[in-house]
Amino acid sequence: MAVTTHLTWMQEKKLQNCLGGKRFSLLFKASVHEFSTKDLLLRCYNQGPTMTVIYSDDCVIVAYMSQGYDEQNNFTILFNLEGTKILKCKIQPVSPLKVLNLFKQYKCKNLDFQIDLKEREVTMSLNTIEKLTLPQCEIVSFQECEVFRCEDLLDTRKMKGLSELRESLLSAIRTYKPYRDLVRQIRILLLGPVGAGKSSFFNSIKSVFRGHVTHQASVDSDRTGKSEQYRTYSIKDGKDGNVLPFVLCDSMGLSEKKGLCVDDIFYILKGHIPDRYQFNFMKPITPGCGNYIDSPMLKDRIHCAAFVFDANSIEHLSDEMVAKIKRARREMIKCGVVYLVLLTCVDSMDLIVRGDLIDIYRCMPVKLKIEKVHKKLGFAISDILVVSNYTSEWDLDPIKDVLNLSALRQMLLAADDFLEDLPLGETAIEERQLTSVQKKN
Amino acid sequence: MEVTTRLTWNEEKSLQKLLGSVSLSLLYKSSVHGCSLSKMFARCNHQGSTITVIYLPKEIVGVFIRGHYPTMDVNFGKPNSSFYFSLKNDETEIKTAFLNTTLQMDNEMLRAYHPNFKDIFSLIPNDSLVRLHSLLVNELRVNFKVSKYLECEVFRVEGIEDGNSYISRITGAAQHRHKLLANLRAYKPSEDLVSEIRILLLGPVGSGKSSFFNSVKSVFQGYVTHQAAVGSDSTSITELYRIYSIKDGKDGESLPFKLCDSMGLDEKEGAGLCMDDIRHILKGCMPDRYHFNPQQPITSRHPSFITSPSWKDRIHCVAYVLDSRSINILSSKMVEKLKRVQKEVLNCGIQQVVLLTNVTNYQEVLQDDFLNMKKCVTSGYKITEVQEMLHIPTSNILMVENYASELELNPLKDILILSALRQMLRAADDYLDDLPFEETDEVVGMSQLHTCD
Repeated sequence: MAVTTHLTWMQEKKLQNCLGGKRFSLLFKASVHEFSTKDLLLRCYNQGPTMTVIYSDDCVIVAYMSQGYDEQNNFTILFNLEGTKILKCKIQPVSPLKVLNLFKQYKCKNLDFQIDLKEREVTMSLNTIEKLTLPQCEIVSFQECEVFRCEDLLDTRKMKGLSELRESLLSAIRTYKPYRDLVRQIRILLLGPVGAGKSSFFNSIKSVFRGHVTHQASVDSDRTGKSEQYRTYSIKDGKDGNVLPFVLCDSMGLSEKKGLCVDDIFYILKGHIPDRYQFNFMKPITPGCGNYIDSPMLKDRIHCAAFVFDANSIEHLSDEMVAKIKRARREMIKCGVVYLVLLTCVDSMDLIVRGDLIDIYRCMPVKLKIEKVHKKLGFAISDILVVSNYTSEWDLDPIKDVLNLSALRQMLLAADDFLEDLPLGETAIEERQLTSVQKKN
Repeated sequence: MEVTTRLTWNEEKSLQKLLGSVSLSLLYKSSVHGCSLSKMFARCNHQGSTITVIYLPKEIVGVFIRGHYPTMDVNFGKPNSSFYFSLKNDETEIKTAFLNTTLQMDNEMLRAYHPNFKDIFSLIPNDSLVRLHSLLVNELRVNFKVSKYLECEVFRVEGIEDGNSYISRITGAAQHRHKLLANLRAYKPSEDLVSEIRILLLGPVGSGKSSFFNSVKSVFQGYVTHQAAVGSDSTSITELYRIYSIKDGKDGESLPFKLCDSMGLDEKEGAGLCMDDIRHILKGCMPDRYHFNPQQPITSRHPSFITSPSWKDRIHCVAYVLDSRSINILSSKMVEKLKRVQKEVLNCGIQQVVLLTNVTNYQEVLQDDFLNMKKCVTSGYKITEVQEMLHIPTSNILMVENYASELELNPLKDILILSALRQMLRAADDYLDDLPFEETDEVVGMSQLHTCD
């Protein structure tokens, strides 16, 4: 029989969160090992904080011991897992050896909680039963008992690994050079519904390179789409550093009513729309109007686009919005622009805690969410990236940085694919222009 | 003292990846739980498959043991499949050695015994000592035979595949992948008619044609590409005819084949790719980036129509791309359309293969040596159904899981993708070998016909 837990992912996730971001390592499983106190102790003694899970016919009871199976009196919390609900109750500090009734001498009564592995029975005080709203029965027989060691999801070891990863991503982006040096900077378009987090993503990227959280682009928190201007942001490496090899282009948000005109997207992609252009939701830009760029060069065009969505509002996207997004995608396919999807605000999703961000693609709720985006909007799963913007923080968080920088790195690689795939004619013209510019200089 | 592993996060991730995205649960740590064989045994027996990791000053060595830890028994048990690995500090590449040994626990040590080499590996916890046979020393590229270690940890490995072949597969996958890559890089079309092979991908909307191109490109490039737009919509995402060439690595040479991606077939008339266009594609008249019009096939008047296609412009192999999940629900209209397409292909004498995509149990498709598909797979209902539908030999029905559902490369997926590609190239070779010489005249004839239009 395999040594795997009986807990569902949902139960496990809820317990992880209840205990403040822990991961569990299964040490003992009675049905595989033995219904014996001795065997449990041999395996679980001296393992640090542990969690003992008792499965009976109609309930799952969890005992968390902050010192684990040790001689000392131990701070213990009991949980009752009832469907998706968790009831919690603290009991008096007690020695785990007494809990397991190792010496057969403290026959319950004055103990809040006692496990008899051999008899497969748990005895609880009336007080405990009441607090956990369990059936009024002091002795509960059980079928299975599992013991886990609890470790912090974000221990120093992982934080060290993360900051190394952050540094290597930063240096990869700093030294990135567009394919065959066809352009100096990659233009990345951020597109998506109003309030999806486009400007926040720019702010978050800028913050990483600036060294503290910045809010240059105003974030339309009131969801009216304050960013009606087209903005192209270049970012410096540090306050007075070199210009980084990418430009983030922030467009007006899409909306059912007053959002970005889908017809404008073509002009954005082709590079006809200048920085600070004031969008008009009623009508798209027309050639010749104002500062319309007549013959944009390759460097003015969009090389990679990112559809930005708030992970929490995917379910609420109207059919109209979905249709608009699909039209926008058609425009990109037509222009040969490579696109990706960024899912923002994942950290504020239900059940997700900060510790989950280090291995977010393995996290069940996020997997389900990505699946939903795939089904609803028809994006390939491999095109969907998870990011975490700075919203209320003052200080940088390496976990968020790693997610955001990884997404940026993917976009730069995607832009290379775009440049590599340009029709021969187009790159030839561009290269000629480039060399002539270089000659002039 | 805290019970946390000594592995860095990076090392842990590399080990997990090597073992096939498993999770690791630390059971025993010598510095906390005591350096004694009995203490180690008490915690590690009956825990399923484990890895034992031994920390030396400059490197880590370890052993993966499939199934429970050996029991405390002086008699030798059955040979157990296990493999040994080493990882130098600050390196990411893990060296592995696969040996069929018998594991045994006696009073003081855990040892692995091989009939030819005797003691291959022994671990003496009470003295914190590890001893390796010179064979392992060479294979793992370590520079000691006996050494005191700093720490020993044992982890349970969760989420490994079933089956005894698991270990030889994970240790063999990287090698086989490498071999396939080298094979494809060195490929040269038979006959000197063409320098590169053109493979046309044809199939229903959303069956994974563009994804297959992305997958092939991803394997050669080393990371998952997003180049060809993929996804699902009511009509085909792909609207252009694309002739993709693939580079070997980012700045490498172009590989000797091109993948031609077309618009999806639609069961309705007047939607999706049209029959006349297919004819032109097969003959090589269709230019790259041609924008398909489902209602109106290309004509020779189109400005970029290739009026006199040469051998290299022609299609040398056609791959019918089908989603393996929807084979049994293909409408009769679609089947009929596929058969009509097939007639065109056969008329041109072009070789054909079937590519089944979305094979979620991709780990189970190939035999343990990766050389052939398993018998149980080829006799499986999907393959039989496809065979009955299109009358294509089983050896030319290929299975892949595209990189549309995952961001990380995986050697087993790579092997399937590369094997499929290799079969396509072999089919193309058959086509070239089979060419009657007069055909060349026909090409000229046809181009004259078009100029007459």
